[in-house]
Amino acid sequence: MPSTAIKRVEIQAQNRLRTLMRDYFLNLDAAAKDPDRQVAWCTSVGPCEILTAFGFEVFFPENHGALLGARKVSPEYIPRAIGIGYGSESCSYMNSDIGAALAGESPLQEIYGIDGPPTPDVLAYSTNQCREVQDWFSFFGKRNDAAVFGICPPSHLGEVGDHHVDFVRGLLARFIKQIESRFDKRLDWAALEEIVALSSRASTLWKVILDTAIAKPSPITFWDGLIHMSPVILMRGSQAAVEYYEQLLTEMRKRIDKSVGAVPDEQWRLYWEGMPVWPKIRELSEKFFDLRTVIAASTYCNSWAFEPYDGGDPLAWMAKTSIEIFINRDERFKQEFLLDMFNRFSIDGAIFHNARTCPNNTNSRFGMAQRLRDELDLPVLVIDGDLCDGRFFSTAQTMTNIEAFIEQLEDRRS
Amino acid sequence: MSAALFVGIDAGSSATKCVVLDAEETLIGHHVISSGFSYPEAAEIVLEQSLFQAEGLREDITQCVSTGYGREQIDFAHRHITEITCHARGARQWYPEVRNIIDIGGQDTKIIRLNERGRMADYRMNAKCAAGTGTFLESIAMRLGIPLADIDELAMRSKTPMVLNSYCTVFAGTEVLECIKAGKPRDDISMGLFRSIASRIYEMISAHDGPVAATGGVVAHCRAMVRALEERLETKVLLPPHPQLAGAYGAALLAREYLTRPVQTSRAAESITECKG
Ligand code: SF4
Repeated sequence: MPSTAIKRVEIQAQNRLRTLMRDYFLNLDAAAKDPDRQVAWCTSVGPCEILTAFGFEVFFPENHGALLGARKVSPEYIPRAIGIGYGSESCSYMNSDIGAALAGESPLQEIYGIDGPPTPDVLAYSTNQCREVQDWFSFFGKRNDAAVFGICPPSHLGEVGDHHVDFVRGLLARFIKQIESRFDKRLDWAALEEIVALSSRASTLWKVILDTAIAKPSPITFWDGLIHMSPVILMRGSQAAVEYYEQLLTEMRKRIDKSVGAVPDEQWRLYWEGMPVWPKIRELSEKFFDLRTVIAASTYCNSWAFEPYDGGDPLAWMAKTSIEIFINRDERFKQEFLLDMFNRFSIDGAIFHNARTCPNNTNSRFGMAQRLRDELDLPVLVIDGDLCDGRFFSTAQTMTNIEAFIEQLEDRRS
Repeated sequence: MSAALFVGIDAGSSATKCVVLDAEETLIGHHVISSGFSYPEAAEIVLEQSLFQAEGLREDITQCVSTGYGREQIDFAHRHITEITCHARGARQWYPEVRNIIDIGGQDTKIIRLNERGRMADYRMNAKCAAGTGTFLESIAMRLGIPLADIDELAMRSKTPMVLNSYCTVFAGTEVLECIKAGKPRDDISMGLFRSIASRIYEMISAHDGPVAATGGVVAHCRAMVRALEERLETKVLLPPHPQLAGAYGAALLAREYLTRPVQTSRAAESITECKG
């Protein structure tokens, strides 16, 4: 069945995004080669604002893991990581990234003509998402003889109380001291405030952009979100990210005014819970497009939608946002969050991705999908797969599952 | 004979089946063959044989729906519908009161729950693995060098079935060899295989309520499979007249229904214009 009968409307802003991404990676490469500049590696909701305020150029290995998955090269690298003792069901971002480093290869070489991930001077992680990052970063710390600093906040929180925030603020303050003493630098607090304000502004804009999908038809899909979320992760704290999202928001609002849907003739609105299946993004997006189905909202893209910064203590804001994220919350909070999302986005059904190598970002293992199905009388579908590792994903079976899900929705509506 | 005929083709991973219905939804022709290397070729053969049995001609086909793993390769079908929807429709026609359908196919096992109005409420497919499917039985039968029909015979005589700890085809095969080495009775080893599949299915359907029906090639050919399911689920399992034809039968019924019911996604509408009926 063709996916060409109706043309997809391209997002204009993506031309600018390409330039931003190129500039970002070229700058990182230049920094890594310049003895007077320094590079930090950071987890996706780690203390990147602090690192930027110290003058480090910040690289995010998870983005590289996703790139390896999306370029379908993970199968070449995962066995190398397994070969040196990493589990075959351990995080496939980590295994892909470690394997690619062992092979001395990276898609960044081909895409941007650079050497690959920049050599780190320091690595900073937060276990607000998982403990896997601790081992992942430790591997690269050892390999590059670079300092590794970890922030281990309280996890799986229900309510986020002041005492939690104070504690994490303390961890961040200690982290600042560690950097100061290791690199003989002093933190520029005014710079940090400015960076946090920009970070918050980009994140707030990103949330407003994602919320434009409340409109019917939705101007944006999860698949678009996976591309356009790059600045809010990689360039958080920069003016460029803010300006990019202003442009994207304007474009989305124009789409709403003209009733331009990301999926023409939108029939169904679904929610995607869990990690993307990076190697199958194209096939999946085309399948949903053919089925006139918009993935209107997702937990994943909302992971970088933080509360606004009110201009107070920047460390307190960083502490709070870093532990308030969905992945760091308890089952009850997550369920309420999902309920709210399903209602706000007028969701017809939800797909839960059971990602084999990321239990942390998989929420179908403790009865959540069934509870939501029963409470809301909402069709839910759990698909087995993975973020990078194709061994855990069956294309034919998943496509049948998805088609049957739409048939189920049709049957309910008829 | 010249009449309105409705055809369902189920291009499954192991077998391709065809059902022909007349305008009154009476099953007047059917045929099953191995899918072999080519779904289109297998579909042509089953269609021809079924039409022959139905005393019908190709021109009499008013509507055809294809389903199963190879559904999209059946060019002459007007629509492609998933086997999940088709099995649900077929089983419901045979047993209007059925609420749970277990379809054990060659490559995957499906559990489909229907609500009180007969609509699909939920479904699950086995994970990407042969555990709990026909392939599990076939590969162990092959490893033992015993035809599946004989394993079924043996299993039906079992008094104290063996418990296999592994669902995995490879590990279960090793366990079976260990049991053979230990001199365990062949009857009990054979029943252990069916029980292993039933246990895997139990995980997918444990919260069932209401009548359960089983479809697919495995239950069509293996009485021991039905017995193992009944023992594990502690309920009677309804076995339709043609368990292996459930998908094709459902597809043919849907072919008839879609004449009067518009399809909402244009996916199907698109395929209607492309397919040469
Ligand atoms: S959250 Fe999941 S995908 Fe991300 S680093 Fe941790 S284990 Fe890997």
